[in-house]
Amino acid sequence: MVIFASVTIVIAETYNKGPSIEQELTEEELSHWAFQPIQHPRPPEVQNESEVANALDRFILARLEEKGLSLMPSADRRTLIRRLSFGLRGLPPTQEEIQEFLNDDSEIAYEVLVDRFLGETAFGERWGQHWLDVVRFAETEGFEHDYVRPDAWRYRDWVIHAFNKDIPYDEFVSLQIAGDELYPDVPDMAIGTGFLVAGPDMSDINIAEERSHTILNEMTSATGAAFLGLTMACAQCHDHKFDAISQADFYRMRAVFANMYFPEKQKRLNQVFFEPDAEAPATHLMLRGMFNSPGPVLAPGFVRAANPMGLTVPETEEDATTTGRRKALAKWITDPEHPLATRVIMNRVWHYLIGIPIVGTPNDFGVKGDRPTHPQLLDWLSKELMVRNWSLKEMIRLVVMSATYRQVSRPVDDTWVDAVAADPDNRLLSRMPRKRLEGEAIRDAMLFVSGRLNRKQGGPGVHPPLPREVAITLLKKQWEVSKDESDHYRRSIYLFVRRNLRFPMFDVFDRPDTLASCGRRNVSTTAPQSLTLLNSDFSLNSARHLAGEVLDSGAIDYSAWVDQCYERLFSRLPSDSEREIAIEFLEGQTTMLKDAEREVSELAVPLGTENTMDRFQGSALTDLCLALFNLNEMIYID
Amino acid sequence: MNSDARGALNRRKFLRNVGGGIGAIALAKILSEENLLTAASNVSAEADTLARLAPHYEPKVKRVVYLFMHGGPSHVDLWDPKPDLVKYGGMPLPDSFGSVMTRRKVVHNPLMPPAREFRPRGESSIEISDFLPHISTVADELCVMRGCHGDSVNHPQSVYQMNTGSILMGKPSLGSWVSYGLGSENQDMPAFVVMPDPGGGLKGGPPAWGSGFLPASYQGTTMRPGANPILNLKPPAQVTGRQQQSTLDMIYKLNAKHLEDRDFDDSLAARVRSYELAYRMQTAAPDIVDISGESKATRDLYGIGEEPTDEFGTRCLLARRMIERGVRFVQLYSGDTLGWDAHNNLEDNHSTHCAKTDKPIAGLIKDLKKRGLLEDTLVIWGGEFGRMPMSEKGTGRDHNPWGYSVVFAGGGVKGGMTYGETDAIGLRAEHNKVHVHDLHATILHLLGLDHEKLTYFHNGREERLTDVAGNVVTEILS
Repeated sequence: MVIFASVTIVIAETYNKGPSIEQELTEEELSHWAFQPIQHPRPPEVQNESEVANALDRFILARLEEKGLSLMPSADRRTLIRRLSFGLRGLPPTQEEIQEFLNDDSEIAYEVLVDRFLGETAFGERWGQHWLDVVRFAETEGFEHDYVRPDAWRYRDWVIHAFNKDIPYDEFVSLQIAGDELYPDVPDMAIGTGFLVAGPDMSDINIAEERSHTILNEMTSATGAAFLGLTMACAQCHDHKFDAISQADFYRMRAVFANMYFPEKQKRLNQVFFEPDAEAPATHLMLRGMFNSPGPVLAPGFVRAANPMGLTVPETEEDATTTGRRKALAKWITDPEHPLATRVIMNRVWHYLIGIPIVGTPNDFGVKGDRPTHPQLLDWLSKELMVRNWSLKEMIRLVVMSATYRQVSRPVDDTWVDAVAADPDNRLLSRMPRKRLEGEAIRDAMLFVSGRLNRKQGGPGVHPPLPREVAITLLKKQWEVSKDESDHYRRSIYLFVRRNLRFPMFDVFDRPDTLASCGRRNVSTTAPQSLTLLNSDFSLNSARHLAGEVLDSGAIDYSAWVDQCYERLFSRLPSDSEREIAIEFLEGQTTMLKDAEREVSELAVPLGTENTMDRFQGSALTDLCLALFNLNEMIYID
Repeated sequence: MNSDARGALNRRKFLRNVGGGIGAIALAKILSEENLLTAASNVSAEADTLARLAPHYEPKVKRVVYLFMHGGPSHVDLWDPKPDLVKYGGMPLPDSFGSVMTRRKVVHNPLMPPAREFRPRGESSIEISDFLPHISTVADELCVMRGCHGDSVNHPQSVYQMNTGSILMGKPSLGSWVSYGLGSENQDMPAFVVMPDPGGGLKGGPPAWGSGFLPASYQGTTMRPGANPILNLKPPAQVTGRQQQSTLDMIYKLNAKHLEDRDFDDSLAARVRSYELAYRMQTAAPDIVDISGESKATRDLYGIGEEPTDEFGTRCLLARRMIERGVRFVQLYSGDTLGWDAHNNLEDNHSTHCAKTDKPIAGLIKDLKKRGLLEDTLVIWGGEFGRMPMSEKGTGRDHNPWGYSVVFAGGGVKGGMTYGETDAIGLRAEHNKVHVHDLHATILHLLGLDHEKLTYFHNGREERLTDVAGNVVTEILS
């Protein structure tokens, strides 16, 4: 062992003198677009000034005009409030909100709406989930026992709070990497470092070195993906095949976390634990990425290609209580000259609002990732973020106020055909992309329109009942249903996140697996999705409650019922032909149920406060509600 | 383009995207009105993710039944006879075996002889223990690989590795890769079906059959015997079939209007189709699990209607019914939370699990053979690892990933052969070793897929089931 260690030191010394364990970066590697300094371009001139709502539209419009196109007209107010409400709050607008917006003839009506939504706590609950995808958040560790991390929810609440309080993005990043180092005297400032230990863990594995090796590599990879848009994970076994990230780059960054440890008594990774004294064990380059193959020793450092600023990790001060390495990492990432960090977050913001990211691979800004469709716009947004004190809310506001965001997403006049012909994949944003809601938003919306959504905020994750077939796949006591029934109707972000079992409704709608950072969810369309919305108890109960709400609203005839349903679910009134189809359905369904002479107990009667309703008509209304939950319009937002 | 021409084009797009199914009648009406029937007959559902894809080369088998013995069945008590283990039973592990990584502290425990005698079976004289009298009767169909090995002494890591190639969570499973590579032969059913043990509690959980970074449509769909084989397959009790039929009709009508107003958007059209598949699955899945039409002879073959084989026998029969209907990859788990994990009282544990599975598995192989299905089906028997030659607590054995047996039967594989060897006591694979990656490469090969070409680009990397390793075990191919 002694011999082995001294050999390692020899190699390390050789390395420090120069001869390489990695190639010098080539000019070609360094010329990759994402490593270039961020410009602050002047928004371009456009021919049609009248279409411009704010500066960012110029970047979009200028490109469209080159193709002989222009922006689509603004969507109508009902479409806008629905789009904005789901985009900022993850919920549909209420009928009252719609009426108020329709009746507000002020020029700033839309702006007022934007500010109101941004100020609601629902905003953090919506955007918090986006971030939880990025940080692979779960409340258990995965693998065999999938042990619970009892305090993990505090990080989830912290994220929601950070969005609502609009903590500047540079601070948001720093607190997640080094909150404890930056504010050693304020315990709450360490909650954000839950990011570092949010990933999977195998606390049961035989070999402690393998466990910590796996965690440190995971932490390094997650940091690279979340903040830098780099596929660092590819460089743990060998130099990155495509990008300018050497294996040494990987382990130098890993060295930043080297003093992580597992406390004896606390087996679960509830929070990050770093040795309080300033010593950190040496970090080796691990040959072939294997935990038992230490190679040369490396000093902590930053990915060379993304470090034109030439920042280094300072030596730890003598009387320091921590290594200060993570503080240095946070400082590097949030440096105004950092070529990646602001581009990466602004691409995410754009993606969540517009639906198509500027860089199609939000977690991969490398050469194998997509090129930006609008590189100048991306740079401009990145600079603006810094100009606006790193305020994400300001940037979100800017995007949703643009004419680009407000475009229609469907044909309203003849310009559509030309736009589709010249811009078939909508890469130029010649129209607003249509977006499929996530499983979380679908569930929240169904609870909301059926009057059941419990708006309680924060606290430990809740456990709504699982279908029996799903529950039995778990070990005993892994999903003890929350005793307070109202907890079953909390917003989706407050549902307990078990790594080994995605909540069924979220699972079918492409919720990421929490095993690695997810920058862009898959959008699949499958039969199990349809079966879930059509046949689950959750759907039927939501339909019965919605039917109850409709009856309680005082709507007295079929026509009024249909109108109520449409406005609650789709934020609009039905067309004449839609109303006709729905009424015909209600009549047909009522007759069918009546002919079958079924008892109340056999029918899905509405669950409102009024029970005087004819049971067959009531059940037909439930059927209508169930059918409407299944329409494309329910889960696709124009 | 004038608006009439555009309308016709859009309608064609609509027809191509929406295809047949629930709305077929309504569509046929539109079609005849528009005189577009010819156009429609030319377009198929080519865009479906599960549509059948072409293999890389001529496949030997079209489908797989994977019998997963969860917990780690003991190779030295079932498949891998070791006279030395009998001879030196009670003695400590000789020093010459060097250091051994184990899950529990068993390295210095005495060697434990197998719990049952081994005998030569069939014309090929493969030695199989008395734990498996029924499987022994089909010995000449089996290819027993005795030199298999993996990388972790822990359950979930090994369950993941055997299923996904990696000891880490979250990689796509073998079944997902196969459905990604080949699609389904049956548009009414998922390509990859999993039938978990009714006792539940697989170590590592559902990620074992997850699709990882592959799209969700490739993940294993869990099915159970009985009235409700797939989650949410049937309407709730208060909704009758007729009620749902008219509900679906209205959904179709309103979705069609929505689609028309939105330029016949492909993803919206795909969702209309997904309701058709859901509707067809409501008929197809119960039909698969309805075994009332199977003869008594067939039921007896699988041990259905008798204990303790009824439960596993039923699932084996369902596996046959699924592959008959074009399901590509069926995986069955034997063993609840503990399963075959015989840390103590191996005698009792393996007696129980063998009694439950031995006859059904033999029955499955015989039934497939009789129906001519075995020649293009691969049947796999295996756990996540084997067990140690040393004893644990005097009567059990600890996990052993360093050497164990996996058994193949069916198309493209030589029957009545053994391949590879462990050392004298069954501790480590020694000769003609087969790593998990090699098993995977071979399985894909039999299905006509080149494991180096079956890739998916994810997070900066062309990912493979076999990572950067894997060799096809050509010696066992027929």
